[in-house]
Amino acid sequence: MAASEPYNEEVRALFENPFHAGDLQGVYPETLTADVSESEHGARLVLYAGIDDGKIAEIRFRAFACPHLVAAAEVVCREAEGGKLSELPTIKANELMERLSVPVGKTGRMLLIEDAVEKLHAQSGCAG
Amino acid sequence: MSQDLVYLDYAATTPIDLRVVEAMQECLTGDGAFANPASIHIAGRRAAAIVDSAREQLAELLDARPERLIWTSGATESDNLAIRGAATARAHRGKHLITMPTEHKAVADTFRALAREGFEVTWLSPDDNGLLSTELLADAIRDETQLVSVMHVNNETGVIQDICAIGELCRSRGVLFHTDAAQSVGKLEVDLRNLPVDLLSLTAHKFYGPQGIGALYIADRPQCSVLPIMFGGAQEKRLRPGTLPVHLIVGAGVAASLAGDEREVDLAHVAALRDRLWAGIAAIPGLTRNGREADCYPGILNVSVAGVEGESLLLGMEPVCVASGSACNSTSGEPSYVLRSLGRSDADAQSAVRFSFGKLTTEDDIDTAIERYRRSVEHCRSMSPVT
Repeated sequence: MAASEPYNEEVRALFENPFHAGDLQGVYPETLTADVSESEHGARLVLYAGIDDGKIAEIRFRAFACPHLVAAAEVVCREAEGGKLSELPTIKANELMERLSVPVGKTGRMLLIEDAVEKLHAQSGCAG
Repeated sequence: MSQDLVYLDYAATTPIDLRVVEAMQECLTGDGAFANPASIHIAGRRAAAIVDSAREQLAELLDARPERLIWTSGATESDNLAIRGAATARAHRGKHLITMPTEHKAVADTFRALAREGFEVTWLSPDDNGLLSTELLADAIRDETQLVSVMHVNNETGVIQDICAIGELCRSRGVLFHTDAAQSVGKLEVDLRNLPVDLLSLTAHKFYGPQGIGALYIADRPQCSVLPIMFGGAQEKRLRPGTLPVHLIVGAGVAASLAGDEREVDLAHVAALRDRLWAGIAAIPGLTRNGREADCYPGILNVSVAGVEGESLLLGMEPVCVASGSACNSTSGEPSYVLRSLGRSDADAQSAVRFSFGKLTTEDDIDTAIERYRRSVEHCRSMSPVT
């Protein structure tokens, strides 16, 4: 990716097709919600995880965020869906930043991903 | 214009007019005026004559005397030379300066630098529409005030300040008046025979000339002394040393001449495009226009939209090229300080988009921009948790 190109092809594709954008309100009896925000740039990310038998049956996100964070949220949703809730913390912001060629200056915003996942995980004891 | 993009960022820079390119090309070969205009041989004198001719073309556009124009690398350098040069030249009289927080960084940062060096700077806030109240300015001027700097047309909102009234007030109080006219020269009438302006900055690439060449106008008044900020040669009345870039100066001169001939037609053209764009997006819920229509240069339309993140909005608009509310802070992603100065919230400032058009912009370009903007707002809102 050229230095002057702010978004790699994967970010563009994920941003244009955020299949997991939305919420799960009223869909599952047990839906976990993680709402995190960053004041400096006003970014906000909300993850919704529909739990069925200890697994993430479906996961959705809503984001008021830059394209990199939107793309990262979509990646997390695609990788988390169908898996165990307990496996979510293996997702790390620095790995996503490398994969999506996120500028270092956006580290604070990308940490919202980790914060959101940790919030979901913290609720896992109550789920399923 | 390349067919794969819609360029609506004329306030950042304009494409060079092909007639300007042609004139510049004639300078760049061995048969052209490639010599150093400071050289005393025949080739140098030919180059100097071409530089003088271009200076006359620019002077005609401004209704100014050619010898009052100093070539620089652009408006940023002109701003630095005008503000620092005038402030230091008059420092023995007083060290109080006045400007606004809505100025371009070339002005604002120069004032900040002077403040660190012992000058006192008063920052006058605009009203909600971006305009400076002359009453506010009158109250701020003191006996020790030496310089007021207020831009003519704001680069983000297009708001036009009443530089005639501001200049008259400054003259009546014995204070120098500088204006950054980068966004107005070549687009609006700037008549320095009648405007009470002491120092004026401009750049050619905002009116279809080349990047890298601008000028500073210094009024022919005893009070208008300016000290140099760079050293190393006697060029430009010892105020701006360095070999003059003849081909750029020729380009600036031809661009100025064309602007004088075509300004009224261009103005009507961009006004029609602005109205077409506004008509196409005004009904979007949560849309705010930044700058009142009657106060703005019609080649700029700045809008904010609620519930939408600015960077995502811009990506969704590609291949339409516009500036974001954080255009001057793109690396930091900080919301526009200009819009925040107008009382806009961080969210509104951050979602702002500046559309700016020019003589090559077509109605099809505007229609594409309308469609992409509406679609991008919808896309961003479909993902947003903000209601």
